[in-house]
Amino acid sequence: MLFDDVDFSALTLPAEAQALRREVRTFLAAELASGRIVPHLGHAQFDREFSRRVGARGWIGMTWPRQFGGAERSYLERFVVTEEMLAVSAPCAAHWFGDRQTGPSLLRHGSEAQKRRFLPAIARGESPFALGMSEPGNGSDLASVRTRAVKVDGGWRVSGQKVWTSWAHLAEHFFCLCRTSPEEGDRHLGLSQLIVDLHATGVTVRPIRFMSGAHHFNEVFLDEVFVPDDMVLGEVGAGWRQVTSELALERSGPERFMTTFPLLIELVRRLGGTADRRARQVVGQLTARFHALRRMSLAIAFEFTRGASQRTMRDLGTEASLVKDLGTFYERDITEAARLLVDIEPRPDAEDTFERYLAECIYTTPVGTIRGGTTQVLRTIIARKLLGAAGSA
Amino acid sequence: MSEDDDIRSLLVDTAQRIFRDHCSQRTVEAAKRDGWSPELWEIVQQAQLPLVSIPEEKCGAGGSVSDLAAVLRVAGRHSAPLPLAETGLLAAWMLAASGLNVPPGPLAAAFQRTEGELRLEPVADSWRLSGELKRVPWASIASRLVVLVRGGDCDRVATVDPGRCTIARGVNLAWEPRDDVRFERIALRADEVVHAGRGVTIEAFYRRGALARALLMAGALDRALERSIEHARTRVQFGRAIGRFQAIQQEIARFGAEVAAAAAAALSAAGEVERGDGELAVACAKIRVGEAAATGSAIAHQIHAAIGVTEEFALHHSTLRLQAWRSEYGSETYWGERLGQRILDAGAERLWPLLTDSA
Ligand SMILES: Cc1cc2nc3c(=O)[nH]c(=O)nc-3n(C[C@H](O)[C@H](O)[C@H](O)COP(=O)(O)OP(=O)(O)OC[C@H]3O[C@@H](n4cnc5c(N)ncnc54)[C@H](O)[C@@H]3O)c2cc1C
Repeated sequence: MLFDDVDFSALTLPAEAQALRREVRTFLAAELASGRIVPHLGHAQFDREFSRRVGARGWIGMTWPRQFGGAERSYLERFVVTEEMLAVSAPCAAHWFGDRQTGPSLLRHGSEAQKRRFLPAIARGESPFALGMSEPGNGSDLASVRTRAVKVDGGWRVSGQKVWTSWAHLAEHFFCLCRTSPEEGDRHLGLSQLIVDLHATGVTVRPIRFMSGAHHFNEVFLDEVFVPDDMVLGEVGAGWRQVTSELALERSGPERFMTTFPLLIELVRRLGGTADRRARQVVGQLTARFHALRRMSLAIAFEFTRGASQRTMRDLGTEASLVKDLGTFYERDITEAARLLVDIEPRPDAEDTFERYLAECIYTTPVGTIRGGTTQVLRTIIARKLLGAAGSA
Repeated sequence: MSEDDDIRSLLVDTAQRIFRDHCSQRTVEAAKRDGWSPELWEIVQQAQLPLVSIPEEKCGAGGSVSDLAAVLRVAGRHSAPLPLAETGLLAAWMLAASGLNVPPGPLAAAFQRTEGELRLEPVADSWRLSGELKRVPWASIASRLVVLVRGGDCDRVATVDPGRCTIARGVNLAWEPRDDVRFERIALRADEVVHAGRGVTIEAFYRRGALARALLMAGALDRALERSIEHARTRVQFGRAIGRFQAIQQEIARFGAEVAAAAAAALSAAGEVERGDGELAVACAKIRVGEAAATGSAIAHQIHAAIGVTEEFALHHSTLRLQAWRSEYGSETYWGERLGQRILDAGAERLWPLLTDSA
């Protein structure tokens, strides 16, 4: 019922992926040692220069065709790059949306011209994208978007408001989900995805401050913004199908369970040779949970690699949702364990790395189980699929 | 209702009214920058709330520790940016119990943790204080700092003008002042240093500190639950209020249980401190309320989703305080070990009597 036909006993990364891992590690060690990057936990940081350097190595859009700036490497190699970045919390926000979401969407649904224009730039780390799905009235209920696009000569006029748009103040474009025909009957019809230039006339980006005072998400107001016809992604009216066809891979990657992992590393450093039995047991449990999560996530990446070569993909959507659900709670439990095992008063102005990471993780604890689909919505989907399977068996 | 109950409900009503009218979200937000709210302090002081539980002959407001406890819960509910617990439950308690009058104004309280941390030397007929105390709550805004200093023969209570100390400002997760205070050979008059009075010990100080945080957390949990219920009733997704979804109902129910347990544990501990040392009750309270704080703030944020993690929305005033207060005056780890050790030392035969003899 879950992971059917997946041979967990055969999960070993090919030699070229492990060779790549060493390359990435060396690169990151040099970035850290030189002070070019200073990791922060909780929210991936936005650093265009870092993204350019990663792009120059060929580590963005790695699985894409060469003609669009990709390297035609395997999903397993991409997996390795991603987990190495996460293990040190490298500042990947300027390229991650492109690498993980907008790039793959463009590959699947984009026109030749769009692919040629955006994909090589994303792969170079030079075209940061944001995602404009949520609105004040539409969170979990994505289909109730109110932002609307009206057909005009040569394009569309878009008006409405988006919220929680991460990095819209620094990105170049965003994918804007909007209604292109009036809601009648099935409300999932009549939605479209437009690629909107965030610097276009009529676009206003206002910061929304996170409760720690940090600025990473925004409100985006659209007032009669003109979007040319060639910036419609895929088909007009097929927005819903396009958005929800997000690949399982995108939901089950290491970014769903590794955002607090560097805190675990610092926790181990702090505890050192402790004689505390409970500390050893908790560290053991956290390690075991990571081990299993990573195996599940890897299995999905393996399936993609196999499927991509044989052009037959098993549906591992439920498994991917499970990985996200387990993963977001795992991230939270690392934070909780760290604060209970090392008895300090967490402070936002800490200088010590462990203490700073701990404070950053506490501030961002709530977000893992909210962004990209809440726990409740995710579990509803999982249960529906499992019960459906049991019912029909 | 007894006369005591009348006084208690009057106090709670007064506190509710003051905080509702004068402790707005803007007040709490401004305190992130200023450290506290002097305007609110004036009003609260006028109403004599800070010195409840301190005898009137020592310039206090009278009443019991349980009365003050009820006020602290209300203060926690409103995230009141004031050293209310430090003033009444800690500093004024030490002064009054040691025979000193309590000065007006916000007070900070601290105690010597380690042997070498402070040095209090007699010089002729006065004293000299040297050393450093880390993360003293509210030191930078207090008008007096009351310190419990260890001595070879006995512990002493010293009152110091913070203006004469070197203070490095620091904050907790909710930006409340937690400052490092250096005493550089500060001269203190004979009447500024006295023998610690009956019951004023480092153990008792720490217990009272933990009690204070448990009470404030119980209040913050009340507020987080109220906000979550309000949000569940009004936020509409998929054409209905999210409180209509069973997944949300289950979370609200779980949350309610945590809040109830927190109030029971914190308020009963106040009574036990009043009647005895309250060691067992305070340990249980700090542990249980800490757990409720962890579970409760997670549920509150989950129900609010994105809106709840913003600076604009007031939920974080409660939840970040819960996160900060959990670790102050001993986390669940600290009190868990201390309580567990005590139970194990006493042995199996003592467990049941220990749980039932005092209440
Ligand atoms: C840090 C962060 C970054 C984000 N970045 C982006 C971004 O870049 N672009 C973007 O478009 N969005 C972004 N989001 C928004 C995110 O996708 C939404 O927060 C999410 O979809 C939930 O919507 P909501 O916050 O409106 O919560 P709501 O949908 O209002 O949910 C409130 C509560 O109700 C529950 N609920 C809702 N429906 C049901 C149901 N049917 N059954 C049971 N329970 C239900 C939810 O689980 C939740 O507990 C971001 C959010 C965060 C926190």
